[in-house]
Order: sequence, then C-alpha cells, then structure tokens
Amino acid sequence: MDVRQADIVIVGGGGAGLRAAIAAAEANPQLDILLLSKVYPMRSHTVAAEGGCAGVIQPHDSLDAHFDDTVSGGDWLCDQDVVDYFVRHATEENLRLEHWGCPWSRKPDGSINVRAFGGMKIERTWFAADKSGFHILHTLFQTSLKYPSIRRCDEYFCTDLLLEGGACAGIQAIDMRTGSHTLIAASAVILATGGAARVYRYNTNGGIVTGDGMALAYRQGVPLRDMEFVQYHPTGLPGSGILITEAARGEGGVLTNRDGYRYLQDYGLGPETPLGEPKNKHMELGPRDRLSQAFWHEAQAGRALATSRGEAVNLDLRHLGEARINERLPFIRDLARTYVNVDAVHEPIPVRPTAHYTMGGIQTDRYTATALSGLFAAGECASVGLHGANRLGSNSLAELSVFGRVAGEQAAARASQGPSVDPQRLLARAQDNAAVWEALRESTGNERLATIRDEMARAMEDGAGIFRLPGQMRQTCTKVAELKDRYSDLGLVDRSRAFNTEWLNAIELGYLLDVAEAMAHAALARQESRGSHQRPEDFPQRDDAQFLKHSLVYRAADAPRLDWQDVVITRSQPAERHYGAAGQQENKS
Amino acid sequence: MHKPYIQRQRADWWLRNPAYRRYMLREATALPLFLYTLLLMSGLFQFTRGEAAFLQWLEMLRSPWLLALHGLALAAALFHAVTWIALVPKILVIDTDRLRVSPAAVKLAHQVGAVVCNAGLLLLAVLLLRAAAGN
Amino acid sequence: MTETVTVRVQRYRPEEDTAPWEQSFEVPYSEDLSILDALNQIKDQQDPTLSHRWSCRMAICGSCGVMVNNEPKLSCKTFLRDYREQAAVTVRALDNFPIERDLVSDISGFIDHLETVQPWLIRSEEQPVSAGAYPQTPEQMQRYAAFSQCINCGLCYAACPQFGRDPAFLGPGALALAQRYNLDSRDEGAAQRMQWLNAGEGVWSCTFVGYCSEVCPKDVDPAAAINRGKVASDINYAVNLLNILRGKDDA
Ligand SMILES: Cc1cc2nc3c(=O)[nH]c(=O)nc-3n(C[C@H](O)[C@H](O)[C@H](O)COP(=O)(O)OP(=O)(O)OC[C@H]3O[C@@H](n4cnc5c(N)ncnc54)[C@H](O)[C@@H]3O)c2cc1C
Ligand code: SF4
Ligand code: FES
Repeated sequence: MDVRQADIVIVGGGGAGLRAAIAAAEANPQLDILLLSKVYPMRSHTVAAEGGCAGVIQPHDSLDAHFDDTVSGGDWLCDQDVVDYFVRHATEENLRLEHWGCPWSRKPDGSINVRAFGGMKIERTWFAADKSGFHILHTLFQTSLKYPSIRRCDEYFCTDLLLEGGACAGIQAIDMRTGSHTLIAASAVILATGGAARVYRYNTNGGIVTGDGMALAYRQGVPLRDMEFVQYHPTGLPGSGILITEAARGEGGVLTNRDGYRYLQDYGLGPETPLGEPKNKHMELGPRDRLSQAFWHEAQAGRALATSRGEAVNLDLRHLGEARINERLPFIRDLARTYVNVDAVHEPIPVRPTAHYTMGGIQTDRYTATALSGLFAAGECASVGLHGANRLGSNSLAELSVFGRVAGEQAAARASQGPSVDPQRLLARAQDNAAVWEALRESTGNERLATIRDEMARAMEDGAGIFRLPGQMRQTCTKVAELKDRYSDLGLVDRSRAFNTEWLNAIELGYLLDVAEAMAHAALARQESRGSHQRPEDFPQRDDAQFLKHSLVYRAADAPRLDWQDVVITRSQPAERHYGAAGQQENKS
Repeated sequence: MHKPYIQRQRADWWLRNPAYRRYMLREATALPLFLYTLLLMSGLFQFTRGEAAFLQWLEMLRSPWLLALHGLALAAALFHAVTWIALVPKILVIDTDRLRVSPAAVKLAHQVGAVVCNAGLLLLAVLLLRAAAGN
Repeated sequence: MTETVTVRVQRYRPEEDTAPWEQSFEVPYSEDLSILDALNQIKDQQDPTLSHRWSCRMAICGSCGVMVNNEPKLSCKTFLRDYREQAAVTVRALDNFPIERDLVSDISGFIDHLETVQPWLIRSEEQPVSAGAYPQTPEQMQRYAAFSQCINCGLCYAACPQFGRDPAFLGPGALALAQRYNLDSRDEGAAQRMQWLNAGEGVWSCTFVGYCSEVCPKDVDPAAAINRGKVASDINYAVNLLNILRGKDDA
C-alpha cells in the first residue's frame, strides 16, 4: 500500500473539482492540494456540455427573474436560500472564467453575448459556440496548472472514503497504471465526481459517469437526496443518445412529428411561435420535463417517426440557414453528420428524449458540507438544493463554478485549522478495503458484468423513466435488489493489475447499482407528480401538503431507508407552473 | 508492476504512409538541386583554370545526362516553390487590429515575387550575354 | 447469417508479454458501428481482458485515439463502414507513445509538454472581476479560435516523426496551445512563452511534415501554429539583434 498525505483531497477533475482546487489554492497557498481523477481532467464529462452557462448580464434582466425561473422550473423543490446565493454569484464566476481565458461568444462590439434557453424568461445563457463545457473545462484545467500547490493524481480510481473518529480523514484509490492501492490521508475531502445517468440505457453521458461519489458517500451513511429526479433531455440522437443541445432550439430550431406538425402546441406550450422567432418559455423553449413528456404522448399516439434507430421526432434547423448554423451550432452539424448521417442544413435531425442529468445527489448544506464532517461535495454528484425537481438548462455549469468555489474555500478553511491526520491510523482499515477489491479482481462467480449492467439499465428505463407506472416501479425495485444479489456472484476474467478495466468497470457497476437502488426507492416513495417525476396513473398531481419535501435515502441492510427534509422557502410560495400563453397571462396579472 | 512497451521509430517509417512519402519527396527535391550546385561549382572551377578548360566544361554540358539533370533540377525547384507558396498563407498570417492582409493576397504576393525574381534573373542573364556578344 | 468484419487488435499485457501481438475478432457489421463500438462489443461479448480508453463517444473528450490501419484516429469517430473494402481492420495503440497495455498509451509526456508552455492567460495587470469582461471582438477571437479547439487527443503526436525520434520535442498539440494564448488579444504572455518556442525542443525541431494537421480531428492545424511560431521566433530574434546593435541589450 502506497501511503500519502495531503491537506485537501479532491476526487474529480471536472468543472466542479478543478474550480474547487483553484479556490482552495487561492484561499491558502500553503495548503497541499491533491486533485485525483480516474481520467485526465480534460476528459471529464463537463467537456461534453454544449449549450451554455447561466448568469444575469443584460440590463433588462434581474437576479429576481433568474431566481423565479429557477424556483418555478424546479417545481418549488429548490432551497430558496441556495438559489439566492447562486443567482448572486453566477455572473461573477462566468466573468472570472472569462478573465482566465474562456472564449465566451461575443457581440460585434466585443461584449458578452447571451442566448435563450428553455425555461429562462430572459436570455442569460453565456455560451462558447456550442462547446461551452469544453471551453470551460479546458480553461479551468489550464488555469489550474498555474498553481504549484495543486498536485494531480491522474488516472487514479477512488474506491473508498476513509473515516477516523467519525470524520472523513482521507480516501483510498487504485493507481490504474499499476493496479496498486494508495491511501491518501487529508483533513478535508471534496467529492466532485459528476452524475450517474449511466444507470440508464439511452443517455447523454460518457462511459465514466457512473455515480461513484454518490455511492462512496452513501456507503458511509451519508444520505442521498432527491434521487428520484432524473432529467430526460428531449433531444438526444436515437440509438446512441448523444446530445443535441437545447441551444439548437434557443437559436430557433423547431420540433415536428411525423406529420410535420409542431406538436408542442397541444401540450400547453402554445400558441405556435412563428418560424425563426423563438420565444422564451414557449413551445420549443418550454422546460425539458414538459418536452420529454410530450414526446412520450406523441409516440403513444403513433405520431413519432419510425427510424432504423428507433422512434424519433424531427428537430428542424433548416430555416436558420448554413451561415448561422456554422457560426452558432458547428458541433451539432458535425455530430449529426457523423452519428446519424444527416446534414442539418438540408435535413431535419431525428431526436428523442434520453436520460441526461441527476438533479439529486449527496445531500449538502448551502456551504457544500455533507452530513459527514470533513466531507464536502459539489457539482452534479451533490444535491445542494439548487435544482429542485427539474434543473433548468445552463444552471448546472454555473453551479460548478459557484459551488465548486464554495467547496474549495470551505475545505481550505477546515484544512488550515484542523490538525493533520496520521495516515498510519487509517492503514489497517485501508488494507481491509484493499482485500475486498483484490477478492473482486480474483472473483470466479457465475454472473457476467455486461449482463447485469444491461439488465439494470433496462430496468431503470422501464420503472424510473419519463413516466412512472406503479407496477413497473415496484418491479424495478425488485429487479435492482435481485441484481445486487447477483452482483455478489460476479465472475471476472482479467486477473492482471495493469490497466485492468474489467476490474474497474466491475467496481463502477457496484456504484451504479447503489445509485439505481436509491433512485428507484425514492421514486416509489414520492407519491405525487412533480417536475421530472411523473406518475400519471396513481398520483398525477403535485401534492404540496405531503411532499413539498426533499427525499433522503439512507443505505440499510435490506432495502434503503427513506426520510424527508423540509424545503427552504424564503419568498416564493408554491404556485402552478405555467408556460406558453398561460404563463404570459400569469405574468400580466 | 509498471512495464510500458517502448515503441521505437522504425528506420523505414517514411515508407509506411503516403503522407510521409509526400513529405520525403518534397525533402528529396534538395538532391537534384544539390547536384546542380556541384555542377555550377565545377564550372566556376574550370573557369579559373583558363578558357580551354571552361570550353570543355561547356561542351560537357551537352551530354544527355546533364541535360536531364537540368530538367530534373528545374522540375524539383518548381515543385518545391509551388508547394511552398501554397503553404505560406497559413504561416505568414497578417491579421492584427491595425493591419490585415487576406491569405489570398499573401499568396499572390509570393507568386508575383517569385515570377518577378525569376524574370529579373532571366533579364540579367540576357543582358550579360548581349554585353558579352558585343565585345 | 449476419455479415461480420474481422477486427485485428493489438494486445500487450505487461505482466505476461514482452512485446505486442495481434488478436483477431469477428464483429457483426452494422452501418452505425464505430471502431469504439466494435471494441466495446469485443470487450463485452468476446474478451473482457481487452483494455482501451474511452468516455464521451462523441469526439470531444479526446480519450479514444488509436491507430486504425496505420492512421491515427479517434475510435469513436471512425466507422467500420469506411473499411468495408479492406480485408480486415487493424487497431493498434497510438504510434510514438509507450504502450501501457493493449490500446492504452502512456501520454504523460504529452501532458507534461502541455504544462510546459504556460497555457494560461498571462496579464501584466489583472483586472478585478468587478470591472467586467475584457473586451474582445468576434474578429479578435477568430484569430486564435482554431487553436483553442484542441481536445488533447494526441493523434498529432502519433503522426509526428520528429516526436517519434525525440520525445522531448514539445510537439504539435502543446505548441498549438502556446499559440492559442499568444494570439489571444487579452493575453500578454507571448514574451514569456518565447523561451519554450525558441528552445531546442520548440518550434525549430519541426521540419514541417504536416501530417499532424491532416490527422487532427478538430481542424486545429497545429502545423500552421508551429510554423507561425517560427515566424514569431524569427521576428523576436531580429528585434533582439537590433536592440543589441543599438546598445539596448536588455532584451
Ligand atoms: C451532453 C451534456 C451536455 C450538457 N450541457 C449542459 C449545458 O449546456 N449547460 C449546463 O449548465 N449543463 C449542461 N450539462 C450538465 C453539466 O455539464 C454537468 O452537470 C457537469 O458538467 C458536471 O460536472 P462535474 O464537475 O460535477 O462532473 P464531471 O465533469 O462529470 O467530472 C467528474 C470527475 O470525477 C472523476 N471521477 C468520478 N468518479 C471517480 C472515481 N471513482 N475516482 C476518481 N475520479 C472519479 C472523473 O474522472 C471526472 O474527472 C450537460 C451534460 C451533458 C451530459
Ligand atoms: S492538435 Fe488536433 S490532433 Fe493534436 S491533440 Fe489537439 S485535437 Fe488532437
Ligand atoms: S470517446 Fe471521447 S473522443 Fe472518442
């Protein structure tokens, strides 16, 4: 066992992890910061974000308007103190990224340009063409190189959190090149491991997005919050699930069914907006949950297109013209050409909803602290209380900077005061853990990794998808329990240590199963429909009397234990969510 | 255990890919030009040894082999110049807030420059020959 | 019977092998199947011991570079359909890098080179964030836009015979990144970065083979970046010389 020490360990080199590292390095340059990631930081899935990053900048916009859109978009399940803090700091963080070199798209006069995004009343989405996440991530990675106190462990796979005296005191990881176990003691640990949409079959996420951090915390008794809320993105490519950004609609793209009809007007999002004049919160710029649900109904009614890659609707960009598509959506054109053989300039792109984003995650307070002292969490793996029951597009990239920074500063404050941890005290525990992983590497059971993974993904799609029906939900809970059972009889083929990806995938599958379990059980327990969680058959209405609450899932021996936490409401009382003409009425009144 | 396998560059790396072969062809244009330079130098040397020697050298130039070398050297020089000038606009980018020259103009300037230089040399040679004949 | 394609995959298991070898697999053909899909299928269905890197499967994370029939390619953006005429598709680890295992290359040298060139915005005076954004017009952004598209995939390094000969050469990706910042109107670090451009391992190691730009999946054109670096280095040399001649050798 390789034994090391640092003041702060950050697990995850995506947007949140990198921002946290920089914040900690700036807060106290004396601290020894270790940034650990299972891939080189610029491979993190933040790189795939296309559309943009929210922050109020236009004179006719206001923080209150951003607050209102976020809270109503989240179907009032957002913690409003957190949203307040977020909207007040988002713009400043976007500007900081700009000062670090992020090439935000500009207006002809050299000032920042913003685009429209679903659910946002006023344009406030900063963008770098259609590669916003790519540019943010590379800017952060390159800027992090400036700080000598940030050391990196690239391609180290975190397997355990280590506790000492009831507090988190370090982590344990596998050095992927050699397969050896490493213990790193630290007085503060930040989890920034990203989302978990790989529990679903069709998703927009990279292969590495397997909910590791959520499971790591869950296994130490930290509750996962609001796990039933999973966002389906209305426009993924059929087959692969690769994302076609919402910005395609923000720029004026329209959705049509097999009859060429703009069907969204039938789902409370109308009236139909003229071609080339997208209107905020109307039609194609309605919130994601509504759009995904509309697809489901169209497909049920037989009005979706049958393609060789499955059912789809058309996303039509042709009226934007080649010049604008090349300027604003060059990556989208390239993706459609490569992966579905469609040139968006001349043909509509087939799209369908795919699993995209986990609103829930490791429960934290507004300062990113988890229930376990010494452990912080930020980014998609965390539930800080920002997104409620449905995240608005472009709020999550901003979340990475706003709460990544908070996490870095909080961890730095703790590490600056706290006594350092003696790694020797963690050694015995770490050796026990290592033995478990070694046993897995040598396992000779009868179950195959790919089979369990695929069955899990299908079960989640069936019972925790866009619409959740009671029988299927229960089946999914049972199925996940069965799969967890079968997982203990896993048999692996690869006995080597050097870059043994079968072994690492098996550990990831363990994480995925824990996350799937939490999602399925939280979904069953929430007996209402809210945001992305829709139960049209048994509980079609929102039920504020009983469920204006965050769900908390705790790991327990047989089935997980559920609990509830109050939502922080400061100034916006729950109301109905209206979009389209109805929303406009409400604004006037 | 950490035991990466170190890949060594093979001696024939440049044969293994059309892009490398094209590159080597470009580099190889130096060869005929080198031989041509040697030839010129030998002429200069013969010149210093007196008229007879120089005339003999001139006579030698008529051999088909050396005519071929001249043709080859000309072709190589042209090939090199054309492909080089095609690349120039990518390398010599004049695009600042104060001054902007389009890539097409940069390329044209190089083409014109090459033509002017060569025409100038030709003119000079003709003039010199005339002067020599006049004597 | 479904049509299958023969995929020959290079294997190297450091614990057992002394040198790489080749293993053949039959993969069911479909129009949409990328080389990455084929590798994943082999790993799932046929041989779980095969190791390769991937994540985004949409040509943006830069993980999945391999040699496909001797050309550096992103496996997620390369399709079996483009090799139907060939008898087999051969997939190897990227050229010029040490092989960690199977298709996994050791790219740490390349990452070190990236870090060398000081790839961050350098200002003589930092403005506070409260002062707002540094202005930059779309035209000014255009000047470095292509060089900012690099996904650090390393294909250009596999294509570069100079890097193959001498791994200390900073190489196409890192030098393009240096130019990305040098050409950014907000940056004032070009003079600092000149030491890396000018160094023995810098731009002058490049003999303009140009293959790096051909294989780049993001149209970064690193060969142009490097050779523009040579022009900058020349100008820098001339200016220094002039200053010395004029007795101002503080340069
Ligand atoms: C296709 C797509 C498009 C999107 N577009 C937008 C958009 O336009 N606007 C917007 O606001 N949001 C968007 N999002 C959402 C947003 O991009 C993500 O929520 C966000 O990038 C997550 O960042 P992160 O830093 O939390 O995690 P990630 O970027 O996923 O990084 C996770 C890090 O953790 C590391 N890690 C994980 N597990 C381990 C382990 N066990 N050991 C060691 N390291 C580990 C990984 O290596 C990685 O470095 C999009 C998401 C997707 C998938
Ligand atoms: S320059 Fe192109 S080929 Fe080279 S690393 Fe960057 S993206 Fe890859
Ligand atoms: S898998 Fe990300 S670039 Fe190919």
